[in-house]
Amino acid sequence: MAKLTIDGKEIEVPDGTSLFDACRDARGEDLPHFCYHPDLSVAGVCRLCQVEVEGMPKLTIACNTGVRDGMVVHTRNERVTRASKQILEMHLINHPVDCPICDQAGECGLQNQYMAHGLYDTKVEKVDKVHKSKAQVIGPHVILDQERCVLCSRCVRFCAEVTGTGEMGIFNRGDRARIGTAPGVELDNDYSLNTVDICPVGALTSRDFRFQKRVWMLKAADSVCPGCATGCNVRIDHEAGRIYRLKPRYNPEVNGRWMCDKGRMTYKAVHDENRLGDPLVGGKVETWDGVAGTLAKLVGEGGFGLVVGSPYQSLEEIHLLKSLGKDAPLSGGLADSGQGTGDDLLQDADQTPNRKGLELLGVAQHDGPALADLIRNAAGSVLILGGDPAADPTVAAALTEKDSVIYVGTHGDKTAGLAKVVLPGCMWAEKAGIFVNRNGRLQEFKQAVARHGNAREDWRILSELMTVRNNPDVPGSLKGVRDELAGSVAADVDLNKLPARGFLPGGEAR
Amino acid sequence: MTIVFDTLAKIGFFFVLIMGLVVVLIWMERKGAAFIQDRTGPNRASIGGVRLAGLVHPVADVFKLLFKEDVAPANRHAALYNLAPWLVMTVAMSTYAVIPFGDYLTVAGRRVPLVAADLSVGLLYVLAIASLATYGVVMAGWASNNKFTFLGGIRATSQMISYEISMGLALMGLVLVFSSLRLTDIVAGQGDLIWGFLPKWGVVVQPLGFILFIVAVFAETNRNPFDLPEGESEIVAGFHLEYSSMKFALFFMAEYAHMVIGASLIATFYFGGYQIPWLPRPLIEANAGLILTLKLIGVALISMMIAMLFFRRAQKEKGKFGDARDREPVLGAGLWVLVAGGALAGLVLKPWTIGPVGADMVASLLQVMAFVAKVVFFAWLFIWVRWTLPRFRYDQLMHLGWKVWLPLGLANLVVTALVMAIV
Amino acid sequence: MSFEGLPKGSGDKKRSFLESIYLWEVLRGLGVTAGHLVRNILHTDDMPTMQYPEEKRVYGGRFRGRHRLMKREDGSPKCVACQMCSTYCPADCITIVGGEHPDPKIEKYPVSFEIDLLRCVYCGLCEEACPCDAIRLDTGIYEIAADSREKFVVDKDFLLTNDTDGTF
Repeated sequence: MAKLTIDGKEIEVPDGTSLFDACRDARGEDLPHFCYHPDLSVAGVCRLCQVEVEGMPKLTIACNTGVRDGMVVHTRNERVTRASKQILEMHLINHPVDCPICDQAGECGLQNQYMAHGLYDTKVEKVDKVHKSKAQVIGPHVILDQERCVLCSRCVRFCAEVTGTGEMGIFNRGDRARIGTAPGVELDNDYSLNTVDICPVGALTSRDFRFQKRVWMLKAADSVCPGCATGCNVRIDHEAGRIYRLKPRYNPEVNGRWMCDKGRMTYKAVHDENRLGDPLVGGKVETWDGVAGTLAKLVGEGGFGLVVGSPYQSLEEIHLLKSLGKDAPLSGGLADSGQGTGDDLLQDADQTPNRKGLELLGVAQHDGPALADLIRNAAGSVLILGGDPAADPTVAAALTEKDSVIYVGTHGDKTAGLAKVVLPGCMWAEKAGIFVNRNGRLQEFKQAVARHGNAREDWRILSELMTVRNNPDVPGSLKGVRDELAGSVAADVDLNKLPARGFLPGGEAR
Repeated sequence: MTIVFDTLAKIGFFFVLIMGLVVVLIWMERKGAAFIQDRTGPNRASIGGVRLAGLVHPVADVFKLLFKEDVAPANRHAALYNLAPWLVMTVAMSTYAVIPFGDYLTVAGRRVPLVAADLSVGLLYVLAIASLATYGVVMAGWASNNKFTFLGGIRATSQMISYEISMGLALMGLVLVFSSLRLTDIVAGQGDLIWGFLPKWGVVVQPLGFILFIVAVFAETNRNPFDLPEGESEIVAGFHLEYSSMKFALFFMAEYAHMVIGASLIATFYFGGYQIPWLPRPLIEANAGLILTLKLIGVALISMMIAMLFFRRAQKEKGKFGDARDREPVLGAGLWVLVAGGALAGLVLKPWTIGPVGADMVASLLQVMAFVAKVVFFAWLFIWVRWTLPRFRYDQLMHLGWKVWLPLGLANLVVTALVMAIV
Repeated sequence: MSFEGLPKGSGDKKRSFLESIYLWEVLRGLGVTAGHLVRNILHTDDMPTMQYPEEKRVYGGRFRGRHRLMKREDGSPKCVACQMCSTYCPADCITIVGGEHPDPKIEKYPVSFEIDLLRCVYCGLCEEACPCDAIRLDTGIYEIAADSREKFVVDKDFLLTNDTDGTF
């Protein structure tokens, strides 16, 4: 342990801690910085985090200095603030200050530092600035503006250290130094958009989000990426019922500060043109009131002969499906659905968000022929909750034979085309629920945007079907479902108040 | 047969008088309100650029209302809904049957009394018909099937009942004084002089009765400060809220017709009707030639003065607008010069040599003119009061009607009776 | 006459006898209105009413009228769709959709720029917020009329033409 004094405050930190982290603990806020990133190596190029250490003749950068017992550090005295102010001025010499057209404006490190430490008149005329390449497409997801760059090298270090692909580099010297990719090389790895997140200025921006919305207009909702079994924690940035981007949310137990490019694009399915907005009976658009009679006939008399869930539904929905089906055969959908390729960073080969949830509730999955047999042998109507099992041709053939199939889906997929009654459910961003990730961690996602068209939350649809079946267990709210569910999965946690990092049944030890 | 013809002619006279006055009163109301409130008032509608100081507006209004879509509520009681405006209008007009607008006119040797129906119970007829007007309002309010109109109808009913009593009591005092229910008798009685110089007008012999009556008449006509059945601020427009187009126009005209009747009743009962003070009919007939001559000269002089005013304005505002409106003052001056010229041309006929038949006509004409002048003045009083006083609150209205006006009316009756018994 | 039930305060003042019988006050009121009437009839020209379409009120140079979009030398809008104005706008009446400009020096331009003139409160904060002097309220147009709500939502082309005849 090292004892040191920062701004007159005594603090004790473990040996080997960087002075930067010690200062954050003492000050309650970060030192001004561009290049320092907790998940990357120390570069020490931005020179903004300079502090005065007594006994050292010159100011020193905190990020590249280790703590020592008895250190006396000043971070707010005149010498330090003057230095950071002058460094910031140097950073801005060749910056184009095109904030009005820059997508980073509003969440820009340079803007924040200027508002916190700068606030001076520029000494540089606009004409004197060094001009570099603007709006340069350097990859499928990322666009580069070299003028805005402060050469912090975070993106270079990310590509070298995290993905190991090394596409980015700094070229030339002095004020002609610029960030970029080598000729013929594209920034084309599965995690390229993380460079946009860590870029403190507007040099690297997302092509998908480009000019879509000013960031300060966005509202945020905490969610979980439905792209694969990893269950990266994300923040849904949305405005006026539209999702504009997904950003990783820090969870050291799951995804750290990163997420993959594929996961960032999962929101597009929410605004897909193929979304179901109204109930369909025999392919014709119906109202919810209009569909009630058909449902009563299909379900009220014969009951369910088979209920099929899917690993795309939340834990609550699968639980409700179980109690709705009662004694009817139960399937977790196709065992081979959502198979892709994974990597050793974040992406999982299982590209469904909640296969572990099916396991947790003891719902077995079946392969195509087995599911087809179950459908054929069903004595009563068949309820399919999401997952598009008709993507498998044998299941599709079996569904074609049945004329009492009820499908609760989100898109006009193959199963929707074959079902007698199609009920529009909600995408994950339009409802709340719990996914169980590949490690068995229960993670809550919250509603971000309004429901599409006349779609309804799946738990609501299921509880209405329960009403049709005269099932006494009809839940009044999602909270009710969770309370009921809690006993069967994890007795020692309130599912309505899951911790921010999720809940791992059986303890946090991995 | 002749009596039918006479009556039709008299009805025609009243119809023309009321309709003409309605137009003039609407103009007076809008323009008077504007001037009282320091505004210019309506001055846009024009015929070929001539605006006649806003007189074209009532005409334009008529055309507008005639061609407007007749929007009616879906759940109305159709028969009563359609009947109501006609009932209001008809009742308003029929009061006129008993109001004398002149003494008599000699036509081809016959003395034709200038009253449509000289009922011996004319005063009762007036009171009876006045109550009937409520029915139109209540029917309109109820048949529209709207809460606001219904409230308006209810308000109208209670208000009419409250004030009809004090109105009747006020008139009873008058009946005691003139010992007749016949309106011609009452008017004739007011031609006398008290102590040789004071006209024996109702207002002189019944000052308290006059105040009671005029307030009651204001309440009966639903005019401000007693226009609670309309009450825009609380119940939108009250009973006629659901009426549009010509049906609304009928209610609108009925309001002004009521004003004319109210003014006529005030003039008839308390201001000598057609009587010209200190100028009894025999005196007029004896000096008809002189009076007519003076009158023509007077008309000519006044017309010339007005023409001069117009002419001065024409000089002052030359080319102010740069369109047809510039010609208005010139036109006005020309018109009044024409009137003056006509009056002067009348002098050529030597009016001072007028014969007895002519003298009779002059006397009748003067009396009718006196009557109309009084009616116009009291109609103006209605307008004047409207743009001066705020509306009563409902409890104030009831308080005034039952706790103040009714006792005062009774007291007036008793005192009048005592005085009459003693004198 | 007493007025029970009046709100407290309005009946506090002691009325003199003349006031309490009301009629005298009515006559005085009639006198006041008659005074106005006569004065206005005799001095028609002194009336404060303005004959609007012919006579128009003259406003000062800083009057904020209908908006206009400023142009570059080539006639394209100066606006770079930064949405500072729509962010600052207290009435939330500006809707801008940005797009990629072919010239990387300009980079961003408004694909659509709409102002809902019915929502606008003409506070001028948009021109204060604009970093490019692209929007101004200096046309002096205050006669803003249309026959449907949709027509009050004016688009980029309309704001660029900056016509001043007051019609839509």
